[in-house]
Amino acid sequence: MRNKNIKFPVLILIMLTSLLACTKQEYTIPDPVSQLTNDCIKRTIGPSIVSLPLEFAYAMALPKINGKLVSAQVEASIAGASGTFLEHRSFYTNSSGVDVPVTIGTPSTTVDKLTKVTFSVDTNASTLRYYYVIPEAARGQSVSFTFTANSSDGKTATYKMGPYAISKMSITKNLPVSNGANAFISIEDMAVYNAASAATNAGKIDLVYLYRATPTTFTHALVSPGADAAYLPGVTLPSGVNRSTKLRKVFGLQDRNLSNLQYGIYVDDIDFQQLDMVDMPNYALGLKAESGVWVETTDKKYRAYIFVNSINAAGTAVISIMRYTL
Amino acid sequence: MAKYLKITLSILMISVIIISCKKDSPVDEDGLLITFRQECFVSNFELLGSDFVTVRAATAVIDTVAQTINVTVNPGTDLKNVYPQFTLATDCKLDPKVVGKTDLSNLTSPKIYTVVSGNRKIRKPYTLNIKF
Repeated sequence: MRNKNIKFPVLILIMLTSLLACTKQEYTIPDPVSQLTNDCIKRTIGPSIVSLPLEFAYAMALPKINGKLVSAQVEASIAGASGTFLEHRSFYTNSSGVDVPVTIGTPSTTVDKLTKVTFSVDTNASTLRYYYVIPEAARGQSVSFTFTANSSDGKTATYKMGPYAISKMSITKNLPVSNGANAFISIEDMAVYNAASAATNAGKIDLVYLYRATPTTFTHALVSPGADAAYLPGVTLPSGVNRSTKLRKVFGLQDRNLSNLQYGIYVDDIDFQQLDMVDMPNYALGLKAESGVWVETTDKKYRAYIFVNSINAAGTAVISIMRYTL
Repeated sequence: MAKYLKITLSILMISVIIISCKKDSPVDEDGLLITFRQECFVSNFELLGSDFVTVRAATAVIDTVAQTINVTVNPGTDLKNVYPQFTLATDCKLDPKVVGKTDLSNLTSPKIYTVVSGNRKIRKPYTLNIKF
């Protein structure tokens, strides 16, 4: 009898719980936008490198009955380098997948940290791209952005983005090198010199580019001036060029920035920090197109990644350098 | 009828017990299965540089009688930073293990790798001779 009295309420409770659990949740239509609204996405992926742009898409809209867009502005926590701008064109993608611009005002003006566009057309929705060229002052720092839209009804919408860590890396792309001519590479200057210029920058020359058709495994090579003479056949080094730089060959590491936006791989600060260069040689022979070389300078001041963009059997090549200061 | 059913069930139960009590297959100190195989040889050898591209100038010559591997490498190969790769007979293992970057630069004292058979009873040392 006692058991029966307990079992019945428990059964009812379970049934009620089941019914509640199975209640269908009705979909409710979200409230339509009733005032000025904005949104933002960061379009750039990969590490943020000084001199390269960060790209954002800033969208703003308000109901037509409320008025129109008046202006849009972006304030960066660190003033952008030359080339920073907010698009004065709003893009839409047509049926062919092509981004089509619609001009909405005059080109942006940038004063210190603030970049502004004033609308000259009657529109209540727009998406503007913002390109922030990372300045030298931001190296190793964090940068954040405040996007603001103003409408004719006196309303303001604000969207904060960041902070974004700015890499310590430096980049130089598409440096032509040639056997016996522009063959002397300086990591410190991230530049290529000929013999005469190398003599005046002797303390900065880390590598020599050379090409030898034989042996067939030699071909395109980056050799440290301090390497064994066997790896510098027929090379007369300018006076004082004698640094011994450690090198480590890599294949299949096509950094997106170094390869002119061809691949989806990124070399980042952490790669340089964790790089093991112990016992590495001071020469790299048989370099191929799209191969690379990790570099550590004699004074251990810099580590770098040299990417071979292209090679030519006549003894020339194009290289790009990513450098990290230790 | 019930008698036969009981006998059948009893046999089935005893069989299950016997199977479940069978000793597990033995494993060695590396957790690898010790098998009955006696084959013990190197069937292929590769040598990769720091960029994981081969540094061999020609196919490695493996002598399973003399137990030698003779490899000619490209001029300028940095033998301090290479990755040897051995292909062994089924169930064999290598001693010492190749765990990563290896220094093979001492050409006067060739490195010796021992192949251990699947039953772990046969050990054959192979001398790795490298030349430019």
